[in-house]
Amino acid sequence: MRKKFHMRQLNQDAVPTTSLADMMFLLLIFFIMTTTLTKTTGFITDIPTGMKGQQNTQEKTPTIALHDEKITVNETQAMDMDGLRKYVKGLRLDQRQGEAKVVMIAAEGRVPYQVYYETLALVQNAGGVVAIVSDEEEQK
Amino acid sequence: MIRRPKHELPIIPTANLVDIAILLIIFYMACSNFLSTSTGRIVPPKAPDLSKIEEPLVIVSIDQAGTLYLQGQVMSGVAALESAVGELLRDKPDDEARRVMFKCDATVSREVYQPALNAIVQAGGLILAVGEKTEQ
Repeated sequence: MRKKFHMRQLNQDAVPTTSLADMMFLLLIFFIMTTTLTKTTGFITDIPTGMKGQQNTQEKTPTIALHDEKITVNETQAMDMDGLRKYVKGLRLDQRQGEAKVVMIAAEGRVPYQVYYETLALVQNAGGVVAIVSDEEEQK
Repeated sequence: MIRRPKHELPIIPTANLVDIAILLIIFYMACSNFLSTSTGRIVPPKAPDLSKIEEPLVIVSIDQAGTLYLQGQVMSGVAALESAVGELLRDKPDDEARRVMFKCDATVSREVYQPALNAIVQAGGLILAVGEKTEQ
């Protein structure tokens, strides 16, 4: 009689762990479904801004203009993205110092962000400093 | 009468299953990064030579519809964005703290993204442009 009572008492004190596995698997499924292990990729750029009116004072600064259908450099040469890649590479921006590293990027019309981003990344990776040219009207 | 031998089902040991599950949960808890902001659908632009970057505290996003978000909250315009970003970056002199993540949909047109970029720059932010890396 005494022994039986002792056994019952032991059973009551034990922590029930039978449902622990179910809880663990529910949590595991939740984490598997919600976790994103991918790391963010991109580039960091400290962009100085300038108005179109101020552009004239910097004659020697290369200016890339993005239009709806084409890309022009220094308002003359029209090229595609591959041509622009070759042009930027030819500038050897990584070997330049100070203000000579600056490349102005002006977008006109409805240029999609994809084209703008590719151009920014191109100049940035070539060792240049990107400057945004924006309309004075937009600033107001 | 031939007596058939009793076939007993094989027993799978499941005692250690919970331990494995706990280990996996710890792994996922340590490695996961949850979405800190909720926005509309954003398809990031693609470019080669992009590097891995640490996510900063300030996040500006523009979704496919052209809606502007700051920290997941819809902004009424670029003026509001500039003042809000300026407020968040106040008293942060070092470059690392001034980083602003800019997530924009690849199809958004210039009239939408350029004023937003200007607003971040005017507010003193250092733009961290997010994209998807492609092979050259």
